[in-house]
Amino acid sequence: MGYPTELKYTKDHEWVSFKDGVATIGITDYALGQLGDVVFIELPEPDDAIDKDSAIGTIESTKTVSDILSPVSGTVTETNDDIAENQEKLAEDPYGRGWLVKIKTGDSIDHLMSAAEYEKYTAEH
Amino acid sequence: MNETSSISRKTPLFEKHVKANAKLIPFGRWEMPVSYEGVIAEHLTVREKVGLFDVSHMGEIFVRGENALAFCQYLTINDVSKLNDGEGQYSAMCYESGGFVDDLIIYRLNGKEALLCVNASNVDKDYAWIKSQAANFITVSVENESDSWAQIAVQGPNSQAAMLACLPQNYAARLSTLNYMSVFSAPLFGRAAFVARTGYTGEHGYEIYLPNDVAGETWDLLLATSAKTGAKPIGLGARDTLRLEACYLLYGNDMDDTVSPLEAGIGWATRLASDDFIGKSALLMQKQNGVSRKTLGFKLLDKGIARHGMAVYFNGEEVGVVTSGSHLPSLDMAGGLARIKSSCAAIGDHVEIDIRGKRKLAQIIQKPLYSTRVK
Repeated sequence: MGYPTELKYTKDHEWVSFKDGVATIGITDYALGQLGDVVFIELPEPDDAIDKDSAIGTIESTKTVSDILSPVSGTVTETNDDIAENQEKLAEDPYGRGWLVKIKTGDSIDHLMSAAEYEKYTAEH
Repeated sequence: MNETSSISRKTPLFEKHVKANAKLIPFGRWEMPVSYEGVIAEHLTVREKVGLFDVSHMGEIFVRGENALAFCQYLTINDVSKLNDGEGQYSAMCYESGGFVDDLIIYRLNGKEALLCVNASNVDKDYAWIKSQAANFITVSVENESDSWAQIAVQGPNSQAAMLACLPQNYAARLSTLNYMSVFSAPLFGRAAFVARTGYTGEHGYEIYLPNDVAGETWDLLLATSAKTGAKPIGLGARDTLRLEACYLLYGNDMDDTVSPLEAGIGWATRLASDDFIGKSALLMQKQNGVSRKTLGFKLLDKGIARHGMAVYFNGEEVGVVTSGSHLPSLDMAGGLARIKSSCAAIGDHVEIDIRGKRKLAQIIQKPLYSTRVK
């Protein structure tokens, strides 16, 4: 396995990238493997105010609903409405075209797990 | 290792599921495959080709003796007297209150023997209930043979072709003339088995009741038809989405002992106009007073998936609850069953369902949600 090394990872199986004050959030293919077929995605609205560690949306599979948690505080700038409408495409490219939410933030993401740390984490859980 | 795995029960086909990389989950005391390839793909395989289900966890209770059929007539709500040898019917057992003990399929094997196939989650309860009721009858024996029988469901448009691979050649004709809900016995690998044209998917299909020790070989033969029939193993996840599209009930979700067959929508299987059965007087009263709750089919109009337990509103008033809800792969929409006050919403009406704090619009529609092809 190998997770993209340019990204950071949370304990709830989100991946995060950061550029020019904007954090982009998605979910890992490990999470998708646990979920199974995704049948519904609920995302926040642009301009929504977000608190760190709060639920900003949900991903629903045939059997379970999972919250999408934000590792940063800030304001939603963009959401991937195309993926929200075509949720079956999420599994095709979860780290690229499967991004879910962009949040403008002053927070740092340095404290999150690296790809190697996340790989160890998923092996243990 | 956790406690669950040390006490979980495994069917005779468990190793097959492990080898096929099934996602395994606890289901009651059992460890069962919830999916292999994916719920949606498996669901579509059954609708378009044929799927194989390991349903060995289901219960097989045999009622035998001179009075077996008379006892079954008293025990169950449908009309056993209408069955000839080799015929079965969907039915249920009720308490005196009219609430469900369980729903089931009852097969009249012959004039002195009936097979009751009951839900996996209720086997012990059902057996205790049936035994206690049989105490009032002479020449009736009740045996819980669930531990001796495996069960494989073969469901889908190509199911007959798949079945030919596992039956002895001289049974091919018998299979082709088997009516819906009928059953015959056949030897599989030299052991007595039953082949019934019943199912829980809404497709043409069969359920094979067979001894544990020939389940593996039979499964392999069925799967080996894959190049021709498209046969694949199907997990419990797709079993649930398939039955929900067909609006078949699931005990525990759609009903329990506080719900009656009339409220659950199976009045068509309830013989209120002839001889007595346990619960009949309570059900007659319900019918006379007007059944206060009914179970209807719905589809979501707004985006979202309604699930068991979510509240249903009609004209702003809370009128009931979702009993089963899911994404429905063949219909590419979300929908399910809801039990609501009889006096309100009817087919065509709009209702609202509270999905995690948000009211989403849904519509009551005619059941079944999917046009079944069992006959």
